[in-house]
Amino acid sequence: MSTRHVLLGLLTAGPSHGYDLKRRHDERFPQARPLAYGQVYTTLQRLVRDGLAEVEGTDADGGPERTHYRSTDKGSVELAHWLGEIAPPAPFVTNDIFAKVVVAILAEAAGEPADPAAYLRAQRTAHMARMRELTALKTAPGADLATVLSADYALSHLDADLRWMTTTAGRLAALTEEIRNV
Amino acid sequence: MTELTPVRDLLMKPVRAGLLGNTRLAATLLRGSNRREWWRIGLTGLASLLATVFALMAILVASITWDTRLQSGTEAMPVADRYSIAVLNDPGVRPGFAFAIAMLLVPVLGFLAQTTRVGAVHRDRRFANLRLAGATPRQVRSLAAVEAGLTCLAGAVAGLLLFLGVHALFGRLQSGRVLHWPSDVAVAWPAALAVVLAVPLAVTLLSVLVLHRVVTSPLGVVRRARKQRSRGFYVVFVLCTAGAYVTVQVGLQADLVSAVFPVLALVAVVLVGVGAVASASAFARSMGGALLKRAQRPDVLIAAGRLKADPWASARIHGTLLLVTVAGVILVGVRALILSEVDAYGANDDGYYSSGINLIAAALLVATVIALLALLTGTAESLITRRRALAAQSAAGVPQAVLRRAVLLETALPLAPAMLVAGVGGVALYVAYGGLMGRPLPLLSSLLVPVGVYAACLLATACTLPLLRRALHPAELRYE
Amino acid sequence: MTPSTAPLITARGLEKAYGRTDALRGASLTLGAGEILAVTGASGSGKSTLLHCLAGIVTPDSGSVRYDGKQVENLSEAQRTELRRTDFGILFQFGQLIPELSAMDNVALPLLLAGVRRAAAHQQAADWLGKFGVYGQARLRPGEMSGGQAQRVSLARALVTGPKVVFADEPTGALDTLTGEQVMTTLVQSARESGCAVVLITHDAQVAAYADREVVLRDGVVKADEPWAAEHFSRAEVRGND
Repeated sequence: MSTRHVLLGLLTAGPSHGYDLKRRHDERFPQARPLAYGQVYTTLQRLVRDGLAEVEGTDADGGPERTHYRSTDKGSVELAHWLGEIAPPAPFVTNDIFAKVVVAILAEAAGEPADPAAYLRAQRTAHMARMRELTALKTAPGADLATVLSADYALSHLDADLRWMTTTAGRLAALTEEIRNV
Repeated sequence: MTELTPVRDLLMKPVRAGLLGNTRLAATLLRGSNRREWWRIGLTGLASLLATVFALMAILVASITWDTRLQSGTEAMPVADRYSIAVLNDPGVRPGFAFAIAMLLVPVLGFLAQTTRVGAVHRDRRFANLRLAGATPRQVRSLAAVEAGLTCLAGAVAGLLLFLGVHALFGRLQSGRVLHWPSDVAVAWPAALAVVLAVPLAVTLLSVLVLHRVVTSPLGVVRRARKQRSRGFYVVFVLCTAGAYVTVQVGLQADLVSAVFPVLALVAVVLVGVGAVASASAFARSMGGALLKRAQRPDVLIAAGRLKADPWASARIHGTLLLVTVAGVILVGVRALILSEVDAYGANDDGYYSSGINLIAAALLVATVIALLALLTGTAESLITRRRALAAQSAAGVPQAVLRRAVLLETALPLAPAMLVAGVGGVALYVAYGGLMGRPLPLLSSLLVPVGVYAACLLATACTLPLLRRALHPAELRYE
Repeated sequence: MTPSTAPLITARGLEKAYGRTDALRGASLTLGAGEILAVTGASGSGKSTLLHCLAGIVTPDSGSVRYDGKQVENLSEAQRTELRRTDFGILFQFGQLIPELSAMDNVALPLLLAGVRRAAAHQQAADWLGKFGVYGQARLRPGEMSGGQAQRVSLARALVTGPKVVFADEPTGALDTLTGEQVMTTLVQSARESGCAVVLITHDAQVAAYADREVVLRDGVVKADEPWAAEHFSRAEVRGND
């Protein structure tokens, strides 16, 4: 995920300071990993360096001194460009689960103590537990749209994983056979 | 891509499979069809067999030339009868009797209309799938025509063989001078062949007409909501009854009775029948609507919902029964009238009259049985078609007794007023005919006819209840 | 964590064959009061048959189903019919509504069967239809509604008698994802509110995720009556595997 573009996007609402941006990010992306303040700070500095954002001013308001940033015209163009850009659909098929299953099949065929079927079952159980959690989150009374959207997104991906795991579990015998015969 | 071009050329050519190709395709499709389609084929064949036998019998009776009175030269003196059935000896009433047998074709047609609907949902889907797969409406229609035509041809040929067999059997067995069956009359071959061809042809045309709606849409039949004014049908009924009354009056006053009576009777009966069917559907609709508003009991509610949703379904099933009832009411009345007339004249040959009328009554009884068969087929078909919905009700805890009563009420509710109307119509015609005689008219026996037919209908519907039991089986939940 | 309550339904060693096909081969499971249980598995794994056995729609060839102190398989057909009408709600993929009756009458039907007057039954039916957002369709017949609307009417009919258990067989099978989600949310929320348990048959993991717990059927046998479920389980209590 491009943190600089997300921050640029948040700045479209008006000038804002680092802590405020972090808070709003965590609010809009409730299921994402929370943004570290240090990361916000360095990203903002890079935006200024590239001319996409500039310092609006500072205030102290009795507390620690805070720098306000705002987006530049160049920043708006860059944001619009990013928004219109297609994300490459799965350019490289790499995934932890996928890799583990392939290696487990290879290891099992070589006589190592590996059990891809058991792994798939355990992984499925964990996936289902997470899906229940997310479903409970999004169906809880008063769940906001951001929560529903992010839960939906994660649910669809977990569901895709699950379906792949189910079909793979059904193909395990044939896969193992194929590797042994090579 | 070049090697694909020939196939493409082939596809672009209009396909003319011809009769043989269609027959082959129909046979292939039928081989994979389910039991209900075989029921349709079997019952349609049976109906066409009955139609053929009745038509052949009518022709046989009509082609008798024996005249009792001519035997003694110039004197019109009756000599010994040749046939044990009195009316067959009299050339004056023979055409009427032949006509009465031919009238049996009416309930047979009603039966046929029901049998062609057996498994219709499945067949319609099959044809719609063919359309989706790229068959033209013409191809699908000719497939249906081939299927119906061959079925009926088989039935007609079987009917011909049965008739010839019986005819030959009587010819072999009857050695006495008095014959129980006119086996001395040769079969009129041109007419017999015409019948064997005409029956399948008529049914084929009918099936193509019925299919018209299906084949036009590859997505199957779209059931449109019919929005007709029900009041119109009461008008149709009143007009029909009035028309029938006038027909009889005019016929009697113009003294055309003997010559044109069969035609007049046919027109009158058909008019009353059409009126009864039309008003039956109107009754069903308004009764369904009224009950739907007020019903407190679930069985009445379910039956009322069906009546309102498809009033024609009941009208279609009951149409022939109403015709039979009208004819029955008249016949029973006229029979009582004639017998009392004969008594009054002190004539000694009341056996002649009563045997003739009883023969007609027997024919009417056969007609009633066929009409009940149609009712049975129609009710059974409706149960089978709805079996998934019924099984779902049962699964959700609707007791079987409630569903049983709903099925019975579905027949009982609309039929009661329809029978009343048919009874009134029949009595009107009977009064029109008998009123001229200036005698007190016996009414009670006539009025018992609708009651009897009504009871028979309920009994026939009750016969389908074992089927309901099977339709409610949970296994029906598993399939669409 | 509240202490475990006694199970509402206990099924042991269910076997059922259709002709030569074994649909169930010794399936066992327990359902806690108010628990939402998903039964998943591939097509033909015996999910629907399991539901039919639990709901007393079919009698298993062997094994037992215990509900509320009663052995369901020992009840007469009439008693099981009454049980389904009063204690159970049934929800199929489609087609459990009577096509000739309006939504209102369809929902009122179970009440009429229980002897409630039509006007009172309509009153209650209207409440449920309103609750599920289909009051506007009350006068329409099932064929005149969208699939989602019809399914909500079906849900109202299943819940109108205040059942202890709703048996749902692929309730979203004929619906698109969003409509299916709305139906599932309505089902789960109403079940939680009324403390009604749900047995949810589905092959869709996203639908199964609405449940508190999942059991997987494979070849007519329950493969994973997940024992860890109790740890994650916060809304209703369920007994783990015996």
